[in-house]
Amino acid sequence: MCNKLAILFAAGVIALCAQDVPLDPYNSIKINLPADSPLTLISANLGESHASARGSAVVLDLNMALTLRNSSQSRVRGVTLLVAAQEVTPGGKASVTVPSLDVAPGQNFPVRIDLRLLRPGQVGGGPLVQVNLDGVLFQDLSFYGPNRLDSRRSMTAWEMEAQRDRKYFKAILATHGPEGLKQAMLESIARQSERPSLDVQVSRGGRAVTSAAVPEHRAQFAFLRFPDAPVEPVDGWAEIAGNEARNPRIDVRNRSSEQVLHVEIGWIVTDRQGTQYMAASLPNAEPKLYLPPGSSGRVLQDTSLRFSKNRGEPVPIAGMTGFVSQVEFADGKIWIPNREALAGAQLLGILAASPEEERLTDLYRKKGPKALVDELSKF
Amino acid sequence: MKHPSQPTLALYAGKDLGWFAARRAERHVARCGECRQAVEAFTALHDDLVGFVEVPALSWSRLAAEMRANIRLGLAAGECVRGELSAAPLTWISGMRAAMACAGMVVLVAAGLLLDRSTPPAPPLAADESMVLRATASGIELNQGGQSMSLLHVRASQRPGGQLDVTYSAGAQGSMRARYVDLDTGNVTINNVYVQ
Repeated sequence: MCNKLAILFAAGVIALCAQDVPLDPYNSIKINLPADSPLTLISANLGESHASARGSAVVLDLNMALTLRNSSQSRVRGVTLLVAAQEVTPGGKASVTVPSLDVAPGQNFPVRIDLRLLRPGQVGGGPLVQVNLDGVLFQDLSFYGPNRLDSRRSMTAWEMEAQRDRKYFKAILATHGPEGLKQAMLESIARQSERPSLDVQVSRGGRAVTSAAVPEHRAQFAFLRFPDAPVEPVDGWAEIAGNEARNPRIDVRNRSSEQVLHVEIGWIVTDRQGTQYMAASLPNAEPKLYLPPGSSGRVLQDTSLRFSKNRGEPVPIAGMTGFVSQVEFADGKIWIPNREALAGAQLLGILAASPEEERLTDLYRKKGPKALVDELSKF
Repeated sequence: MKHPSQPTLALYAGKDLGWFAARRAERHVARCGECRQAVEAFTALHDDLVGFVEVPALSWSRLAAEMRANIRLGLAAGECVRGELSAAPLTWISGMRAAMACAGMVVLVAAGLLLDRSTPPAPPLAADESMVLRATASGIELNQGGQSMSLLHVRASQRPGGQLDVTYSAGAQGSMRARYVDLDTGNVTINNVYVQ
């Protein structure tokens, strides 16, 4: 009898814990667009959003399908929305960017945000998630927005990569015809699927506990130098322990005639078998570097990165290579490496394809060569 | 293939197996999808149970202070009553009651002090303490002291092997990015999670 009562009690507890928690998603999310925003919120569909209890915690699944309208007079090339859940993760924030857009004035376009929050206790009354506009990039590379996430630089760099890669594929189409374009697409698809990838875990500050027993040593960076890069890497190192690297530091020199505000270094790690992986990008720590012509500066971060593959298999670091992947000048212009330089340095097979190249290959796979040619002819 | 028993998988998920048994289970789980799912389910259950057994945070200092204040109030009240009744002769029963009350108070004070010493208040969570960014099967997760925020890429298309076609990249400044082509719109979407 007692056993039966205990089973009934346990079943009751489990049933209570598994039930959905009442949640009004419309009161849980706040979407803020400034009054003078070039985008207008047309609709916010939160239909599949729900909250459920997991033990003593609450899991909140927010599936937002926003429809925005370009209310400006220029074509929109990219949008970044800032997503913050300060009550859940006070030290963290997130963003959703849609680059490689081509939205005409008055046209609507969708942005999806799929967010999951896990927090102890019950869901409070106020909004858990705030969605704010961080920036809009237009066709002429002008920008609107508070730019809290430096999205102006990111979206401008992506748009320049898009222009570079469209130009490359259009040149192939012009010189080798549709068959040449098809061959280039197949090569790109193969590169994207064969590119070795790493799982990277990022944490701020000191070493991770799991590898604390492995002796740490300072390892030097080797560098790839592009002839037309306005900034060159001079020296660099990081503390290495097994599959963990921390506190990277790279000295750079501005060899251009303009003041440089931002430098980003691409960071490649090599494992013991000689396989190279794109591990991370390394931007300067301060929001702006202010590097006058001819002067030197240091790109550094107090971060710890742990590398693994195949669901947790550690990848011990045998070597590191750096290259300048992005430079922002004082006038807002951005430098990125050209395709010839990337191909010459054997980087095309290591780096991820640009968002635009990924979009174009996806279009080719799903809709065929004619759709791709039509798309390229729009630009 | 002989599968480990459910109790063995449960112990493995909870990291409670011995070294040799754990290695044996690990080898099996690495090549058996069914058992891997069972282990993942046990791990999720284990995480949930942690939430069940959590004791709500108590301010022991405040509790002890309240107990001391109540004891002082009781003693003061006793003094007042004794003053009023000083003319009346005390019986042996009232003396015994007073002794028992004092003994009880002493026990309460001792217990309060003991609890206060053995359970120091937890230090406040720093802004970036234990903040870890990692890629999961369904998104990028920022975990901070048991609470988490994940940006999911549920609309990503699948590769021929069944995996989601998502490109991850890390930023050494403390960020992680997941990029994919949206199934419905064909637009590239870039999810980025930052540790401030």
